[in-house]
Amino acid sequence: MKSSIRLGLPSPQQLKEYRIWDSYFTPAYSHPGQDGSSGLIADIERALPAAQKAEFEKLCYFPHVGIGTTTDAEFEKLIRSRPDVTLKPMERWPHLLLGMIQVNANDVPASLDALNRWLRDGPMIGVYFRGGGVGSLTCSHRNFHPLIERIAELRGVIMQHTWFVTGGKQSPGASTPSELAELAAKFPEQQFVCAHAGGEWERGIQAVQKSPNILVETSGFDATAGFIEMAVRELGPERIIFGSHLPSRSLGTELSKVIAANISEVGKRLILGENFRKLIQRPIH
Amino acid sequence: MMNRRDVLNLAVSAGTATLVLPSAVRAANHAEQSPPFRIVDTNASLFHWPFRRLPLDTLDALLKKYRLLGISQAWAGSFEGVLHRDLASVNQRLAEACRKYPEFVPIGSVNPELPSWQTDLKCCFEKHQMPAIRLHPNYHGYSLDDPRFTQLLKLATEAGRFVQIAVSLEDTRTQHPMLQVPDVNLTPLADIVKSIPDARVQLLNYRPRSPVLDQLARTPGVYFETARVDGTDGIPNLVKSVSADRVLFGTHAPFLIPEAALIRVHESDQLDEPSLRAIYSGNADTLLRTVD
Repeated sequence: MKSSIRLGLPSPQQLKEYRIWDSYFTPAYSHPGQDGSSGLIADIERALPAAQKAEFEKLCYFPHVGIGTTTDAEFEKLIRSRPDVTLKPMERWPHLLLGMIQVNANDVPASLDALNRWLRDGPMIGVYFRGGGVGSLTCSHRNFHPLIERIAELRGVIMQHTWFVTGGKQSPGASTPSELAELAAKFPEQQFVCAHAGGEWERGIQAVQKSPNILVETSGFDATAGFIEMAVRELGPERIIFGSHLPSRSLGTELSKVIAANISEVGKRLILGENFRKLIQRPIH
Repeated sequence: MMNRRDVLNLAVSAGTATLVLPSAVRAANHAEQSPPFRIVDTNASLFHWPFRRLPLDTLDALLKKYRLLGISQAWAGSFEGVLHRDLASVNQRLAEACRKYPEFVPIGSVNPELPSWQTDLKCCFEKHQMPAIRLHPNYHGYSLDDPRFTQLLKLATEAGRFVQIAVSLEDTRTQHPMLQVPDVNLTPLADIVKSIPDARVQLLNYRPRSPVLDQLARTPGVYFETARVDGTDGIPNLVKSVSADRVLFGTHAPFLIPEAALIRVHESDQLDEPSLRAIYSGNADTLLRTVD
C-alpha cells in the first residue's frame, strides 16, 4: 500500500536535490537464488519502496560471477557459463542499478579473468571484496597485489568489507580498517572504500585517518549518533560515501546517519552522492 | 505537588493536545500529513552514555529534537541506571529532570542484585509516581530465571505498573573491550509472564529472533518496541508475528538517531494507517492508561 507518511524524512524535493547514489545495496547478497537471479530480483523489489521514497538515483549491488564466492557449486557453474543470468537485474532496471562484482582473492587467476570480463568489457564499475566466509581473504594478503594493479588499470572502484569486532575477528577471511590501510599504503594512486567504516567506527575512522586514498562507507551498523560528525571532523566530508545496506538493513537506519547529522548541507550532498560519482571513473548508463 | 495520577494524566493529555502538529514540526517532517500522527517514544534515556558524548545527550538538545520531529512524549530512563549502584539518587535526578519537562515520563532503574532493590522499587512507584521501571539484567548480572526477577515483576504488577527490560544497549560487536555484555536471554520470560496475571513487560532494543519470538508472541503481556528492529520490512514482519497492538514506537535516543526508527516504521509502505497510528502512539497511550 502506498502511503503518504514521510515522518523523519526530508521533503521529496530536498531528497532529489541530494542526488543520492547508494554505494552499498545488498539484495540477496549471499546467494541470488538457484536460478541465478530470482532471489536477487525479489530482494530488489523488496527494497524499492524505501529507495523510491528516498528518491535514490542509483543503487550499486555486488553480483556473484562464478569465481567461488558462494558454497553452491551448481550455482557457480551456472553463473560462469551464463553471463546473461548475471545481467538480468541490470537489464530490468538499466537506469537504476550499478554493479561491483564479488571477486575472490583466494583465486587470483579466476579473479583476473573476471576483471577482464566484467570491468574491461563492462558493464560493472568495480569490485567488492567480502568480509568473511567463502571467497574472503584478509586484504593485507599479497594475493591482493596483482588484483589491485589490474583494477587500477581498469579504473575500477574497490569496496572492501571491514569490521573491528570487539573480541576479535569472526571469520579468518575478515579484514579490518587497519589492514586496509596497510594495503592502501602500497597503492597510493588507487582509492579504496572502507565498507562500514569498520563497524566500530571510532576505531575505524582513526585507523584510516592517515590514509588519504581511503574513503569510509556509512552502512552496516546501528544508527549510532555522532558517527558522521566524527567522520567529517577527522576525514572531511570528501572521504565519506553513503551506503544503504537495503533491504537487510533499513532506510531509516542508514539514511538517518547522514540526514540527521549536524554537518553542512554541502557535506550531506557530497556524502550522499557526489563523492561516489567522483569515484566512478568508468562510463555508466 | 502533583500526585502520580496527575502526572500521568498530564503526560497523556499533553500528547493529545498535540494531535495537530505545529507548523514547524510539519516543516521538519516535510509532509503535510493527513492526519498527522501523535508520536510517543517509549525508549529514551537521559544523561550521559558511559562511553562517548552523544549529540543529543543534554535535555535541551533532546527536547529540541523531539519537538522538531513531532515527538510529543518520551518515556525516559537514565543511562546512569546502567552502571551506578546508588540507584536512589539516580532515580531522584531523573524524576527532578522530568518534572521540568512534561514531555518526559520518568522510568526508574531497579537492580535486583542490590540489597536495596525493594526500597528503590517502592520509591519509584510511591515517591516518584513512575508508571514503570526499567531493568538491565545483562549489565546488572542476573538472568530472568532469577527468583528476584519474578518477585519484582509480581510487585510491579500488584502496584499496577509495568516493567521495561532493555534486552541490549549496544551491538555486542562494538562494545568496549573491557565491558562486553551479551543480550539478555529471553527464553524464561514467556513462562514467567504467563504465571503472573496482568503482568506487563515491554522489551526494549530487542532484535526479534525465532524461536523465542514465537513464544513471546503467544504471551499477551509482552510488548515490543522498534529501536533495533532492522531491515526495510522488519517492523511489518514483527507486526505480523505479534500483532500491531503490541508494538510500540521507540528510538533508543540519544544513543541511536531518533529519525532512524521514525522512518523505519513506515518506509516499506506495508502498514495501514490504523497500524501506524497504533505503533506511533496508540499502544503507548493504552499501556500508560492501564497504570493504576
